[in-house]
Amino acid sequence: MVSPTLRGKRLSERTLGYLMLAPAALLLLLIVVYPIADLVRNSFYDLHLAEPWRGEPFVAFDNYARAFADDRFWGSVLHTAVYVVVTVPGALLVGLGLALLANLPFRVKWPVRLGLLLPWALPLVFSGLIFRWFFEYRQGIVNDVLERLGIEPLAWLTDPNLARAAICIAIVWKSSSFMALMLLAGLQTIPRELYEAAEVDGATRWQKFVSITLPMLRPAIMVALIFRTITAIQTFDIPYAMTGGGPGDSTETLAMYIQKTTLDFLDFGYGSALATLMFILSFAATVGYLRYTRRSARRETA
Amino acid sequence: MRLKRRSAVWLAAVIVAVNGFFPAVWILLTSLKSETELMNQPITYLPQAPTLANYVQAFTEQPLPRFLWNSFVVASLSTLLCVLVSALAAYALTRLRVPKSQLIMTALLAVALFPLVSLMVPLFKLMRELSLLNTYLALILPYAVLSMPVCTLVLASFFQDIEPDLEAAAMVDGCSRLGALFRVIVPLSAPGVFTAAILAFVNAWDEFLLALTMLNRLSMRTLSVGITLYQGEYAFPWPLISAALIVAIVPISILIAVFQERVVGGLTAGGVKG
Repeated sequence: MVSPTLRGKRLSERTLGYLMLAPAALLLLLIVVYPIADLVRNSFYDLHLAEPWRGEPFVAFDNYARAFADDRFWGSVLHTAVYVVVTVPGALLVGLGLALLANLPFRVKWPVRLGLLLPWALPLVFSGLIFRWFFEYRQGIVNDVLERLGIEPLAWLTDPNLARAAICIAIVWKSSSFMALMLLAGLQTIPRELYEAAEVDGATRWQKFVSITLPMLRPAIMVALIFRTITAIQTFDIPYAMTGGGPGDSTETLAMYIQKTTLDFLDFGYGSALATLMFILSFAATVGYLRYTRRSARRETA
Repeated sequence: MRLKRRSAVWLAAVIVAVNGFFPAVWILLTSLKSETELMNQPITYLPQAPTLANYVQAFTEQPLPRFLWNSFVVASLSTLLCVLVSALAAYALTRLRVPKSQLIMTALLAVALFPLVSLMVPLFKLMRELSLLNTYLALILPYAVLSMPVCTLVLASFFQDIEPDLEAAAMVDGCSRLGALFRVIVPLSAPGVFTAAILAFVNAWDEFLLALTMLNRLSMRTLSVGITLYQGEYAFPWPLISAALIVAIVPISILIAVFQERVVGGLTAGGVKG
């Protein structure tokens, strides 16, 4: 009497499991899997959505060849690389500083917690607008402070190098808070006994930081770094709001060029090739991340 | 010594708070200034003659309530869909014996690392073919999917901690599996459901690129895109933009201020456990 019901129950448990996963799977198929497949397919065609009479001729790797010969593409890749190389370590350093400060024993916790949450919750494009206002030539507060310090005002948004610097500063401000929150969670898992033992041994504050805090924080730092890298590769909102890619195309990122190609020029085949390249770049970073975490997980269990 | 330590802690709190609050405070001050006061050199820090004229203009120059409503509809419906789908998935992965559940979870989390820009291109084409451009659905579906990984992760970590006996007891009392999920598991992990919902809501509220792409009719614009429409062709009316920004920031700031502990817990769940 027991066995049939039991077997029936176990069978239905597995079926029920699949049924409950089905909505998620369907949404993923519609919104991620099919579009990515369509993207790669489109990248091999000459596809102009606004001019259907031109047909959709198959052009093999022409779109990719065009990308590799396109100065604007390389420029956008270069600017994206600059943002990655500057803002990933920049946000880590600022984020680590904020996390260490926020880890002190406060009696009232909300101002610090909210001080870290607000930049995270602020939409990227709003942060971009606000920093554009900060860096405004005549009325911006940055040049005002510089003048009070006796320094000539700088043409932040009209000089290519300064514009890229201003964008980096905005990105670091916006992303360091989220980084600080992740690192803070890591800091709070470090057992107090480690510090107490080190104090008994007469360790200085710096020695404690280098030999306890940093090694114990390593997993959290790695996760934060990789996450930041993948987000930095996709930089769009902040330069869009601060400079619109200008002056000229000197601050344009790959993501902005893809958006312009597909939506302003409606050159879908070429845009798809660029987006596929972006996908490959991001995928490489993801694989690197997964391999690293798996390797370190193995090391921890070993 | 003790005093020195207390003042160091104070200084740390001030640095973190100023870093986080300053931009919002500065645009609040800007929003209260008139265009003429803005021309002063050197610039004024506090508004000399505070005015609410910019707020009035922010509501008359663009359909700001409409933007707010659009953002609200898109964010709440995508959150609802996301939490529902994620709860089902998290339940199957943590409490039912589904083969390879670990692998399924990893695959789901990998989705979170997909570049949105790459997805945007074919999604635009898909929504165009489905005639969904300029409908809320064109954003609701992608937003629900984008927050699904983090929501599933948060919900799974809460579901895991519930005693299996409680669920068994409910089923002995005549609840089905699904009944047990919605009558026992979900209420018991209410904080987790809440956290997941807030994260999904903020993600949807903040998104810009897809919103810019999918909804280009003025009456359908969401807040994040709508705010960029205040800029003139050549000049930036900063007091006006600041007023619109303040109106746009207030709802989400209240939300995170009220639920700050939950938000922090949810945000770091992925980082610490992953």
